[in-house]
Amino acid sequence: MGQIEFHGVTKRFDSGFEALKDITAEFAEGSMTFLTGHSGAGKSTFLKLLLCLDRVTRGQILVNGINVTQLKAKRLAYYRRNVGTVFQDHHLLAHRNIFDNVALPLRVNGMREREVGRRVRAALSRVGLLPKERLLPQFLSTGEQQRVGIARAVVTRPKILLADEPTGNLDPELSKNIMELFRQFNEVGTTVLVASHDRALIESMGAPIVELAQGRIVAGHRGG
Amino acid sequence: MSWWQDHLRIAAETMRFVSASLGTSFLVWLLVGIALALPSGLLLLQLNLAEMTSAWDGRPGLSVYFEVGAEESSVRAVGQQLEAHPHIERVEITTAAEALANFQAHSGLADALELLDENPLPASLRAVLKAGASMPDLDAAGASVVDAEAVADLVIEKTWMQRVLDASQVVNRLGIILGLLFGVGAVLVTATSVRLAIESRLDELRVLKLVGATAGQMRRPFLYFGAFYGFGGGLVAAMLISLCLVLIENPLANLLGSYGRDLETAGFDPIFLVGLLCVGGLLGVIGALLAAKQRLVRLEVL
Ligand SMILES: Nc1ncnc2c1ncn2[C@@H]1O[C@H](COP(=O)(O)OP(=O)(O)O)[C@@H](O)[C@H]1O
Ligand SMILES: [Mg+2]
Repeated sequence: MGQIEFHGVTKRFDSGFEALKDITAEFAEGSMTFLTGHSGAGKSTFLKLLLCLDRVTRGQILVNGINVTQLKAKRLAYYRRNVGTVFQDHHLLAHRNIFDNVALPLRVNGMREREVGRRVRAALSRVGLLPKERLLPQFLSTGEQQRVGIARAVVTRPKILLADEPTGNLDPELSKNIMELFRQFNEVGTTVLVASHDRALIESMGAPIVELAQGRIVAGHRGG
Repeated sequence: MSWWQDHLRIAAETMRFVSASLGTSFLVWLLVGIALALPSGLLLLQLNLAEMTSAWDGRPGLSVYFEVGAEESSVRAVGQQLEAHPHIERVEITTAAEALANFQAHSGLADALELLDENPLPASLRAVLKAGASMPDLDAAGASVVDAEAVADLVIEKTWMQRVLDASQVVNRLGIILGLLFGVGAVLVTATSVRLAIESRLDELRVLKLVGATAGQMRRPFLYFGAFYGFGGGLVAAMLISLCLVLIENPLANLLGSYGRDLETAGFDPIFLVGLLCVGGLLGVIGALLAAKQRLVRLEVL
């Protein structure tokens, strides 16, 4: 049984457009998988549904055996606390320094400030940004900002880490660098799912690839 | 306890945000303050009017004036007739001689009157209605003696205090209506301001939602806003009311003095002030809840 399972998931938008068509796939605990496909293939929609940021039209999404599409608001919030997320535009808060940005999920979790400090510094040193903890995001390079985003995603030590085009704005060397970070988190047991249209980059990583095209899985996991 | 830490941190952040936009915050306070000041000022007025009317014998009555030189027996007959009436509590008769004595004592024209060989003043009586009797009862009592012998004139009086009583009922109703209208106004003002605060922090809210903040956690800073705006509004309202009281103190003292009352404004006490602040804070929180519910429910994260 996979840690993450999609069973016949379809997403049709109000416009009638089907972004995902009857997707069935599973991802084992501790695995690292790349989700690829051309722009518009449905990668972001896939991750959004997994985070329940949008509703499925049909089908089920099980995480650790629980159908997350049926969760009530409060349980859904708690579920999201166990999933780290990284996005292309990293959604850092412009008016908070690096430390406070990374501390946000821990504070949402209601963690004591002393423990927050310890965890944030550990996460920042993992991505090599501890010396910059007091700076505002605007004073960091794009690559550094993306690493802050990753630190924020892993600071709660989530079981699952999702990333949507995490290297979108980065040059090839920095991109490789970021992907290596994901691999390191995977090596300590985190289930990692990275969506990227950069075929060359992900092939160089040597991890399993699931390819989407027009809302269907065309390579990699297929069927149940 | 981390729950307290969270609240403290959010309260501190709210203060920072408010002080960063002090102009707007002050405007909101002023708006909420005015909205609160009007109905609560009316409440004070009503409290004071009620106080006055309960302290004074505000019951209406009627006065009968007799013809000059009317027989004392006729006067007494009318007095007894009224006293027997079921709605009349008591009757006070002023004979012509007593009227003259009063007049001499108060007017300083004693010598002049002594020049007259006849008393020019009429006898009169005043009948006071029983508690609980109504104006039609008084009319009926008046009608029963209007045609009696020697009666020259009949004055059915709504006393001054009866008018005050009526006025205080109008003020009361007006206060309730204005209270509702302006209360809704205060809620809408804070809702709008909180809504703006929410809009200015959408980025943060999106991230919060993404990392698993509950609806309550996302609302919390804005409830602080609402409470803060409402509380400040209550404070402004208290200041406005005390300013009004200072301004009307003199004329009011004169008015009350002419009716033999000392000026003491009832109701503007610590309890009233605390109540005003609490109502302000409460309306603010309600406004914030409305705004948060309306905006946060349909928050698109990505
Ligand atoms: N809210 C929406 N309403 C209608 N169509 C949408 C919406 N969101 C995405 N789409 C469409 O769904 C398809 C898949 O989008 P997306 O999952 O973002 O693709 P990818 O991330 O692979 O580039 C695209 O054609 C996009 O235009
Ligand atoms: Mg995408």
